[in-house]
Amino acid sequence: MDESTVRQQLRDFILEDLIRDPDYDLEDDEGIVSSGLIDSFSLAQIGVFAEETFGVYIPDPDLTVAKMDTLDLMVARILRDKK
Amino acid sequence: MFTLPDDQFMGLTEITILLIAAFAYILIVPGRWRGWVLLVGSIVGMYWLFPVQNIRWLEYGLATATLVITIVSWFITRPTGKRARKFTNEDRLVVVIVVLMVLAFTFAREVDFLDSLISRPPPLPSVAMALLVVGMLLVLMLRLPPRLQMTFGLLAIIGVFIVIRLPFLTTAAAAFLRQNAGQDASLAAPIDIGWLGFSYVAFRLIHTIRDRQSGLLPALSLREYLTYVLFLPAYVSGPIDRAERFLEDDRALADTRLQDPHRITVGLSRIGVGLFKKFIIADSLAVISLSATLVDQAGGAGSLWLMLYAYAFRLYFDFSGYTDIAIGLGVLFGIELPENFNRPYLKQSIAAFWQSWHMTLSNWAKSYVYSPLSRSLIKQRKLSNGQIVMVANLATMVVIGLWHGMTLPFLAWGLWHGAGLTVHKLWSDRTRKWYRGLRDTPNKQLAWEITGVLLTFHFVLLGWVWFALPDLQSALSTFSRLLGGGA
Repeated sequence: MDESTVRQQLRDFILEDLIRDPDYDLEDDEGIVSSGLIDSFSLAQIGVFAEETFGVYIPDPDLTVAKMDTLDLMVARILRDKK
Repeated sequence: MFTLPDDQFMGLTEITILLIAAFAYILIVPGRWRGWVLLVGSIVGMYWLFPVQNIRWLEYGLATATLVITIVSWFITRPTGKRARKFTNEDRLVVVIVVLMVLAFTFAREVDFLDSLISRPPPLPSVAMALLVVGMLLVLMLRLPPRLQMTFGLLAIIGVFIVIRLPFLTTAAAAFLRQNAGQDASLAAPIDIGWLGFSYVAFRLIHTIRDRQSGLLPALSLREYLTYVLFLPAYVSGPIDRAERFLEDDRALADTRLQDPHRITVGLSRIGVGLFKKFIIADSLAVISLSATLVDQAGGAGSLWLMLYAYAFRLYFDFSGYTDIAIGLGVLFGIELPENFNRPYLKQSIAAFWQSWHMTLSNWAKSYVYSPLSRSLIKQRKLSNGQIVMVANLATMVVIGLWHGMTLPFLAWGLWHGAGLTVHKLWSDRTRKWYRGLRDTPNKQLAWEITGVLLTFHFVLLGWVWFALPDLQSALSTFSRLLGGGA
């Protein structure tokens, strides 16, 4: 699974299941948590999604605003352990 | 009554001595020795700060127990298997230094001046015997497989925490200790065991054990681990740093330019701000702050509200002032501790409040309670998301509440905030899109923002009633009086 697939699947999940607005124009470097689009619970949902979809377990202390605020950061974090 | 564990602040004398120590450290200690001086200084400081207890030798025993628990936690969190870290001569040297210090403190009882400095230690043979027994127990524990050691370690830390926080268990433990010390066991009371800084030590230890379990924790030497857990400026009341962040500063100590005038100015001004907030503003507000004594003297609802506002600001200035002092001292010693407050009373939602009030505690709770619990419930797929949010918020805030003290008012305070966070989450999920739309109408947006700040502040304010009063009955009657009813 390459980067663009991970990015697309994650983007779809965030827009449809978390923000619940498929038409929202989400930028790759947009602060999704810091801007209030999603919250701590959504980060836990992203943790489960990454585990079940990509087989990557992101430890809880890494599910923070600083480390997971943008789509870019999330994709990089998932790809780091997906080898 | 001011019942925070954070209540165990250092006084002006202790802060002045630490400040003098910081300057001696900056001016005299060569770079390569700084890490060692921080370790030895933190250990001496911990024994020195421990308040004298009602039970003979207990302050010495508790300080020593803190050292033992920390060393054991280091041992069980060492990397094992393929990435195993071998014991180094430095680790062995640290053990020797610590044991010598613990034994040396017992001689202090023979010297009048040191006797008052190093909290009344027991005679050397008793200490040697106790260390031997502890050592044998440890050898037994360390025969367990690493995973079991960590589980056992976690349970032991939580167990000790419950014993010293749950009043009836604390009393039972105090009675046992009194009997051992040849004192009257019938006088045992929860106040007998005042384990300085343990709540913060426990959080740091749990963080390292959980992070070792998930593979996140970097390999730390014993010196680094002990200094991280016991670093004196943050020992008594936080902030709760993370090991990997502390490690970066600690490993850079030799090359850190501590004599840089800008750095010293930053440290000193931060301490100055903290002293002003804590000793001028907070202590002035204390006179009119809500308390069990003052609540009975309040004339009507107006004066009660005034006391409650005073309490809210006193709490903020007291704790954030103390944090400023700790952070300022950290800067002088070369360790940049994390921030703990970010204008919490000006936030537009209760979720934002908890991201800005005692941030290192709420981040800890998010990482080790909220997030794992939410994830496990999501994966089980038995509850709806709304139900999971409610369970996770209530559980997390109850843990934070009971950490302050295992009493009904703190439980109520935890439930209060857990309920607030749940309602906010459900509300914001339904209104997020509409709220984003407000960007096009700035005046309307501003009005909602102001409403959010006022609502959040007053929700937190009313929550402090649980926090300020010692029992549910007086808290409930205060609520009734605040709303204009009778007691």
